[in-house]
Amino acid sequence: MEPAEVEFLAEKELVTIVPNFSLDRIHLIGGDLGPFNPGLPVEVPVWLAINLKQRQKCRLIPPEWMDVGKLEEIRDQERKEDTFTPMPSPYYMELTKLLLNYASDNIPKADEIRTLVKDTWDTRMAKLRLSADSFVQQQEAHAKLDNLTLMEINTTGTFLTQALDHMYKLRTNLQPGESSHSQDF
Amino acid sequence: SLLQGSKLEIPLWLAKGLHDSRRRIISVELPKIYKEAWRTVFSADANVVDLHKMGPYYYGFGSQLLNFDNPENPEIAQTILQATEGGPVLPASNSVCPPQTFIARFRRIMDSSQNAYNEDTSALVARLDELERALFQVGQKGLNDFQCWEKGQASQITASSLVQNYGKRKFTEVDG
Repeated sequence: MEPAEVEFLAEKELVTIVPNFSLDRIHLIGGDLGPFNPGLPVEVPVWLAINLKQRQKCRLIPPEWMDVGKLEEIRDQERKEDTFTPMPSPYYMELTKLLLNYASDNIPKADEIRTLVKDTWDTRMAKLRLSADSFVQQQEAHAKLDNLTLMEINTTGTFLTQALDHMYKLRTNLQPGESSHSQDF
Repeated sequence: SLLQGSKLEIPLWLAKGLHDSRRRIISVELPKIYKEAWRTVFSADANVVDLHKMGPYYYGFGSQLLNFDNPENPEIAQTILQATEGGPVLPASNSVCPPQTFIARFRRIMDSSQNAYNEDTSALVARLDELERALFQVGQKGLNDFQCWEKGQASQITASSLVQNYGKRKFTEVDG
């Protein structure tokens, strides 16, 4: 998967906006949205929120986890634990990038938030590599990793699966009596 | 025509074709790097070895060699795969084998391919065999795609590198 595809999936997540226009309920294939009344918060998918924001038709309200205190807690916990912390959103990376790029004026301390999220991401990726290495070293048969997000899996997934494929092939070399299909003359 | 007992070099595919454990037309001598002396080097520190220089298809070739019934085959197979540092020691052999090599070198390949600051990867890559290089590139691509996306370049339209190389006359030149 491309990161852009993961982002596409992330854009289905809901976020709160405050519109400055009014509109009756709209009926889309994915479900109903609205009604929209000026000044009244309403939940919409991120793809619509970004679009409206770009057309200056709304103001975005950051999700409650997108706050310096909360993110610091998450980052510290991630650094402390060996396992992966459950993240406040399965698309935390994508949402951070989208909201901070298009609506940073609606988000207090945007730069700090960006840094905190990046730090947390780096810690998680390092943990993932450590975990992969010990998995390979001990030649385990299977592993279970909880609380990983799709973007993290997507970034390292291809490498890991290919490496394991190679390992598997080399391991089957160890089986005695491996087949060599030689022809009889 | 050939005399019995003469030694010569032939490509692997030919040797495979001629090999037949019953008729014993040929016997294969192991290349240096798969022999015991080198296997000990791998067991000491697999990361040190320049696999590209020693034979750029170390893993693939090594796996193919196992087709020829050689008494050292189990040890060779092991070395190619197994882990050295603190890895489980197999009872059958006390020498180390190619799977260990792969596993020992895996960590470095993974870390450097996912390294955002591409300091000295060229030195490392020069010493990888072809299989490891392909793996390294896959890791790099994963990282590069992510970084590209993060910067917002994923949604920018750029001219394809193929087109740029065509050397067509550009618009400004035509106007002259």
